[in-house]
Amino acid sequence: MRIVVGIKWVPNTQAVRFDPKTGTLIRAGVPSIVNPHDFPAIELALRLKDMYGGEVIAVTMAPPSATQGLEHVLGMGVDKGILLTDRKFAGADTLATSYVIAKGIEKISKEIGPVDVAIFGHETIDSSTAHIGAQVASWLGWPYVYYARDAKLVEDGKLRVTRQTEKAVEEYEVNLPAVVATAIKALKPRPVRLSYKLRAKIEKPIIAWNIEDLGLDPRCTGLKGSPTVVANITWMPEVPRKKIVYTPKDPRDAARWILKQLFSDESVAGFLKKALWGEE
Amino acid sequence: MKVNCEKLCPDWPCEQPDEFKDIWVVMETDEHGISEASLQMLTPAKKIQSKKPEEKIVAVLIGYNIKQYAEIPIKHGADKVIVVDDERLKTYYPRVYGQVIVDLAKKYKPAVILVSATMKGREMGPYIANTLRTGITADCTDFDVDEKTGDVLMIRPPFAAIMLAYIKTPFRRPQMGTARPNVFPVPPYDESRTGEIIEEKLETIMDPGMQLVNYVPVKKEEVLIEKAEIIVSVGKGIGSMDGVKLAEKLASLLGGVVAGSRKAVDAGFVDPERQVGQTGKSVKPVLYFAIGISGAAQHMLGVREAGRIVAINIDPEAPIFKQSDYGVVGDYRPILEALIEELQQLKEKGPEAIEELLKE
Ligand SMILES: Cc1cc2nc3c(=O)[nH]c(=O)nc-3n(C[C@H](O)[C@H](O)[C@H](O)COP(=O)(O)OP(=O)(O)OC[C@H]3O[C@@H](n4cnc5c(N)ncnc54)[C@H](O)[C@@H]3O)c2cc1C
Repeated sequence: MRIVVGIKWVPNTQAVRFDPKTGTLIRAGVPSIVNPHDFPAIELALRLKDMYGGEVIAVTMAPPSATQGLEHVLGMGVDKGILLTDRKFAGADTLATSYVIAKGIEKISKEIGPVDVAIFGHETIDSSTAHIGAQVASWLGWPYVYYARDAKLVEDGKLRVTRQTEKAVEEYEVNLPAVVATAIKALKPRPVRLSYKLRAKIEKPIIAWNIEDLGLDPRCTGLKGSPTVVANITWMPEVPRKKIVYTPKDPRDAARWILKQLFSDESVAGFLKKALWGEE
Repeated sequence: MKVNCEKLCPDWPCEQPDEFKDIWVVMETDEHGISEASLQMLTPAKKIQSKKPEEKIVAVLIGYNIKQYAEIPIKHGADKVIVVDDERLKTYYPRVYGQVIVDLAKKYKPAVILVSATMKGREMGPYIANTLRTGITADCTDFDVDEKTGDVLMIRPPFAAIMLAYIKTPFRRPQMGTARPNVFPVPPYDESRTGEIIEEKLETIMDPGMQLVNYVPVKKEEVLIEKAEIIVSVGKGIGSMDGVKLAEKLASLLGGVVAGSRKAVDAGFVDPERQVGQTGKSVKPVLYFAIGISGAAQHMLGVREAGRIVAINIDPEAPIFKQSDYGVVGDYRPILEALIEELQQLKEKGPEAIEELLKE
C-alpha cells in the first residue's frame, strides 16, 4: 500500500501568550510542533504499512522551516517526506491549501507510484477547521470518511474503516483510493526511534516541490487562489454578567450566600425549585 | 462587485455574485426528525435576511421519508423549503448527500449556504464548498453583512477566543459558513407561518464509493451536556477524582450533569465529549457552575449562551470572576461539601424553607 499522510507544522498554541494590554499574540519564542491531532493519522498510516507493506509518505504545504516536522515523523517510521513549498502558496485558505496538497498527491501517484489512501488528522490546533480532508477528497474525486478510529483491508481490496459518531459505532467498506481523517485521540502514536532518525539523516528522503514542479497556475494558489479573505479583526464582545464576587467567612457562609443569590434570582430560582421539589 | 474572470483560477467557474440570491440552510435529519442543531442555523439566516430583506430563507431538506418534516423549518422562520425525498438517500454518505446539495446549488444559485457543524456537517460542508469551488468558514460565532459590498461576514474567533476575525467571500458564491451546535438558539415556533414547499426529484445519484456494513447504536444514558439545563463544570483546580465525585453529587441533586475544561479532560477527570469551549462544545444551561476553572477565553467561548454562571475559585485574581454572575473566593472542596449539605436540608424541608433562607 502507498499511504500519504498530511501533516501541519503549527505554533504550539499551549505556549502562545497574550499581551493583556494590547490583546495581541506574543509569538516570539513560541516553538512550532507537528499538529498534535496529526499523530493518530500518522499512527494509522504506519499500522497499515506494518500490516500490508508498502510505504508511508508525509506531505505538508508549508515554508521550508516545516522540514523539521517532516524529520520528526520520519523518526516515527514514515518513509518519505514531501514539502510543498513556494512563496506563491502563502496566504492560502483551506481551498487553496487543499488544492496544492491534492496536486501533490496526484504527482506522487504519477511519479512515485499510485497512492491508495490519504490520511489526515482530526483538525489543526491553530485553526481547527477540519476542512482539508474533505476538500482533498473533493479535488481528487475520492470517497471520504471522517472520524475514523481504525482501518484494515478486506476482500476486494476495500478498506474497512471504523468510526464512532454521536449515536453509533459504524463500519464502512470504502473503495480505494480514498481519503480518511481520524478522530481526536483515535490511536496512540508510537515514539520516535533513533534508528529511523539515523536512517532519515543518511538517506535524506525529503523532497521539496514548488509551484513549477507541480505545474500550477499561480491564480489557483496562495492568497490569489483563496475565495475567503479576512476583512477585519476585532475584540470579542463581552457577555454581560453580574460579576458579583464574595469572599466568605467560612464554607457554610459561602454555601448560603450562593443559595441566597440563586433563589433571589428570578431567572434561575423557579428552575432550582423544580429540580429540588418537582414543582415551580 | 464585478468579478474579472481573467484573474480567477481557471479551475473555478466564473460567475458574478449578483447571479446568486437567497440564504440556504441545510437541514439534517435523524429518526426523530430535523435536528435542533440545523434549526438553530435559521437564527443567523434571519440575521442576514434582516440586513438583506430581498433574500429568502430556504431550508434544504434531503433524505428518505423526510417530506413529513417540511413544514417545520417554515414554522421556525424559513420562507421556502426544497425537499428531496428519495429512497436512495436512506443511508447518509458524505459524497452522495454532498453531491445532491451541490447539484441543487448549481440549479438555484443561492448566495449563502449555512450548515450546522455537527459531525455530518463537518464532514459534508467542506466537501460541498470545495465541489462548488467556493470558500467556507468553519465554526462561526456570528454572521453579519458588509454594508458597503453586501458580502456576508462570517465571524469566528481565530486561534484564540479573545479576538474575532471577519471573513468574507467577495468573488465567489455561494458564501458558506458553519457554526457549532448551540451557538445560536432555535428561532421560536410560529404556527401561523406559511411558505412554499418545492419538491425536487433525483435523476441519477452519485456512487458513494463506500458501503455502510455495520451499525451498532451506542446507548447514552447520561444527558448530553448540550442539552443539560444545569451543568457543574470542573477545571484543573478540581485536582482529583474525589473532587469530581463532589461535583457529580451536586449535579445529581439538581438534576444536572458534569462537564469540564480542556485541562480537566487532559487530566482524565472528564470524558472528551464533555469538554466545554472552543474546541469542545457550546452549552446553554440555565445555570453553569465553574469549579476550579480559571476562565480562559477558549473555555468561556463555550458558555456565552449560559444563563447564569457561578464560579468557585481559590484565586481572587482568577479571570473567571470578571466573566461570571456570582463568584465565591475559596477552596472549592469545603464549599461544595457545605453547598451539598445545605441543598439536601432545603430539599427535606421543602420550598417554604427558602423564605427563611432569604430573610437571613
Ligand atoms: C486553540 C485553543 C483551543 C482551546 N480550546 C479549549 C476548550 O475548548 N475548552 C477549554 O476549557 N480550554 C481550551 N483551551 C485551553 C485554555 O486556554 C485553558 O488552558 C484551559 O481552559 C484552562 O483550564 P482550567 O481552567 O481547568 O485550568 P487552569 O487555567 O490551570 O485553572 C485552574 C484553576 O483552578 C483554580 N484552583 C486550583 N485549586 C483550587 C481549589 N482547591 N479550589 C478552587 N479553585 C482552585 C486555580 O486558581 C485556577 O484558576 C484551548 C486553548 C487553545 C490555545
